[in-house]
Amino acid sequence: MFEIDYAENGEIVCSGRLDAAQSAKAEALLGRLDTSQTLDFERLEYISSAGLAILLKTQKRLSESGAALRIINVNKHIYDIFRYSGFNAIFEIETL
Amino acid sequence: MAGQSFKRSIDSVAGIYRFSEEIMAAADIDESVRFTVHLAIEELFVNLVSYNPGAEHDILIDVQVANNGVVVTIVDHDAAEFDVTKERPVDTGASLRERKPGGLGLHLIQHMVDTLEYDYRDGRSRIRFSKEPETRDV
Repeated sequence: MFEIDYAENGEIVCSGRLDAAQSAKAEALLGRLDTSQTLDFERLEYISSAGLAILLKTQKRLSESGAALRIINVNKHIYDIFRYSGFNAIFEIETL
Repeated sequence: MAGQSFKRSIDSVAGIYRFSEEIMAAADIDESVRFTVHLAIEELFVNLVSYNPGAEHDILIDVQVANNGVVVTIVDHDAAEFDVTKERPVDTGASLRERKPGGLGLHLIQHMVDTLEYDYRDGRSRIRFSKEPETRDV
């Protein structure tokens, strides 16, 4: 199960498991962004390459207008994935 | 082999997670091993489905635990040949402008599992990987 929605503070909260079957749900929301945004991953347990591809695609598109995604509260396992993928160099990331 | 067959569809991913998680949780497998095993199974399964979407056979997944580690075997009797052990470089150091979405799945698996084997003959592919807990120097 994966959920993505806006929190009261305006940040986007992701929770559950962002796998290949759920990536369309992430893309539906992230694909509408046109300004810089913070993603809160505190309750995101898992991400696979399908989710990484959505994040990368969104970051590339936002960067064309000088905007960017910032990802906070990343757990150790997901941060390892980010590191192996080189995402720590192209996203601002804060770990838990 | 005491595995379970799954319909070759991306929608099978949730069921595959439940199947493998139940086995690893029952054996009290370390959380970091479980994360890597789930990731590798998903990436390999999605790869098999994506590269041969018109095939009909289900895909068999077997998860065995031993000595705190996990060995997974994935058998597809309707597979296109695709050696998952072959390195397909991803420039993870490229700038954002140069980065291309895609190709990260196999890259991650090859860096995160301990062993990865591939065998293909007569339309049947058999992929086996293992993952053990990391040992830390004291």
